[in-house]
Amino acid sequence: MTLQLEKVTIAVHGRTLIRDLSASVAPGQVLAVMGASGSGKSSLMAWIAGTLEPPFEATGSLRLDGTELSALPIQQRRIGLLFQDDLLFPHLSVLGNLLFALATGERAQRLTAAEAALAEAGLAGFGPRLPGALSGGQRSRVSLLRALLAKPAALLLDEPFSKLDTALRDQMRQFTFATLAARRVPALLVTHDAADVPAGAQRIQLDDHA
Amino acid sequence: MRGAERAALVAPLALFALPLALALLLALVQASDASAWRALLADPQLPRALALSVSAALLSTTLALCACLAIVTHLHGTLLWQRMSRALAPMLALPHAAFAIGLALLVMPAGLLARLFAPLAGWTAPPDWPTVNDPNGIGLTLVLFGKELPFLLWNAVALLNRPDVALSVKGWLASGATLGYRHSAVWWRVLWPLLLPRLAWPLVAVLAYSLTVVDLALIVGPASPPTLAVLAWQGLQDGNVVRNGEGAAAALLLGIVLVLVVAVSALAYRAASRAWLQVALNGSRHARGLGAAAATRALWRGLLAVYGVVALLLVASSCVGVWSFPSLWPQAWASEAWSQVLGSSAVLGLSAGLAAFAALAALALVLCWFEATPSSWDAPVMPLVLAPLVIPSLLLMTGLYTLALRLALDGTLLGLAWAHTLVTLPYVFVALAPAWRSFDRRYEWTALALGRSRWAFWWRIKLPLLGAPLAAALAVGFAVSVAQYLPTQFIGAGRYASVTTEAVTLASGGQRHTAAAFAVMQGLLPVIGFAIAAWVGRRQRARVD
Repeated sequence: MTLQLEKVTIAVHGRTLIRDLSASVAPGQVLAVMGASGSGKSSLMAWIAGTLEPPFEATGSLRLDGTELSALPIQQRRIGLLFQDDLLFPHLSVLGNLLFALATGERAQRLTAAEAALAEAGLAGFGPRLPGALSGGQRSRVSLLRALLAKPAALLLDEPFSKLDTALRDQMRQFTFATLAARRVPALLVTHDAADVPAGAQRIQLDDHA
Repeated sequence: MRGAERAALVAPLALFALPLALALLLALVQASDASAWRALLADPQLPRALALSVSAALLSTTLALCACLAIVTHLHGTLLWQRMSRALAPMLALPHAAFAIGLALLVMPAGLLARLFAPLAGWTAPPDWPTVNDPNGIGLTLVLFGKELPFLLWNAVALLNRPDVALSVKGWLASGATLGYRHSAVWWRVLWPLLLPRLAWPLVAVLAYSLTVVDLALIVGPASPPTLAVLAWQGLQDGNVVRNGEGAAAALLLGIVLVLVVAVSALAYRAASRAWLQVALNGSRHARGLGAAAATRALWRGLLAVYGVVALLLVASSCVGVWSFPSLWPQAWASEAWSQVLGSSAVLGLSAGLAAFAALAALALVLCWFEATPSSWDAPVMPLVLAPLVIPSLLLMTGLYTLALRLALDGTLLGLAWAHTLVTLPYVFVALAPAWRSFDRRYEWTALALGRSRWAFWWRIKLPLLGAPLAAALAVGFAVSVAQYLPTQFIGAGRYASVTTEAVTLASGGQRHTAAAFAVMQGLLPVIGFAIAAWVGRRQRARVD
């Protein structure tokens, strides 16, 4: 699926943060949105996710393969979210976190899908563990798996590597972008760090409003 | 705002805010009758009763505030601070009436203190001490002080445990130390002027409670004349319309006195803080040091010891058969008091059932509010939420009773449950708000972005993650409801008895052993609630950490 933004304008308290932004992200491609703090990149992300709240105001079009999403509630947009923190539900096991993301259906099938995803990510046997018992890198991988198991039509990544140490950051970048490319999920990446942006990704630099 | 959120807002507005506003209005109308005021002003007991109420309230609140400031100043950052913080919850769980009954058992002429001193003083009969029901309200003042101090400390600890405040306090103390000031000097010169205004609401609540308390005044307060709150209560209980109006007017008078005292205190604080600034900036590094710290530690340990002795005395006294003066140990034990308590299954059932309902209903209303509104709405409605704590309860109950009469809810279980819910709600709100409001919204966005419904998120993620604060808020609500005296008497129209009404009635009637047994039950019910909450909290932490 292709994610399309058209003439997106975001303002807060009468101050325009983003004006007439248009972009298109093809399946498996990454659009990197960069800019200083306060430039509006997180607001753009929130608008796409459906979490932008007053006093922010936004206009423009958000489409997935031609279907308009901007009026839909967050749970109907099929747009996955990954934040700086992994936000695994701490009271659910790794398997519980993954099952929460899977669509309802036969429990056996859902279990098979979750365990297969864990094995594919090198985390076979980690299902019964609680998130607190995992390393930072393992948690990040589970978080990505959880987002992907919900079969999102697109994925938003809000500085997802910024809290990892340098060695782990490189590993997670490779793992994340390889997985997204393999599953042909279009992604929008918000980051301060140019090193986060994969080769061949589109880039948008937002204006500094400071 | 979505339709579901609008619908969720209706419940707290219709079942809490509206009745509260109507009750207050009705109380004001009833208490504004000119003939009622003439009757009140003509009552020869009024000046003395008013003086007793004001002096007990002002003295106990001032003493509790001073002690609270001293304890925080000298204990914060020490090992004792953590132990004190942990001890506050069980101290608060002991209901006021139970504490008063226990303290009376300690200081009354035939109490434990007199028995301890008897060999030294050569007493063979109880001394003629006016320690309980003394005409000057000293006993009442001490009981109020003993219950207010842990409440103020608990509020101070909660404030200082907030991550933002804790960080600032740590920084200011360190900065002060590098400038050559002792920690206690930094507290008095910098921290308290900044933090004290944030304890204003708890202070007003304490003052309002002290000024208008009825159950404690019945147990340990002066009898002839009684405090103005008891005078008002007697009038409101009277079948005579004139006496009834006089009672309502007295309740309103207490409200007016409260407003005046708060206004004068606020003005005095403003004037004093200007003067204090001059002292704080005089550059002197001298501060009360080790002596003050030792005295403060002794004060805290003394208070803790009093609570321990009170709890033991309640249990012991409930099992006493014969205990002649000046013997330190009873001659015979008996189970009559407990037979009576355990035989009163209706009383126990009503107390526990009512408290469980009130806590759950208050929690449901509070959750409706939290889920339907952004956190920025809390501050503007706080005065309304806290109204049942700061409006004199007699005045509020007068209005609620009139409202219940018009709705034919007086003397019914439904009316009783609703009244308990109203007075329980502010505590549940205050107990739950910090945890609920600071819950990371990104969990919700993540769950919804996974395609799950809001309900699935709420049920599977938010409720389990907030299990510990939810259980704690329920335990607080349960404890508050168990300790209620006026709502049970007023709205129950005397048809229902709870462990609290039984304990107060028996204690004021001099039946100390049975009163002690009911007081133990009154304390035991909240303890069970808090124990369950602690178990839920530990279970959750073990799973999440």
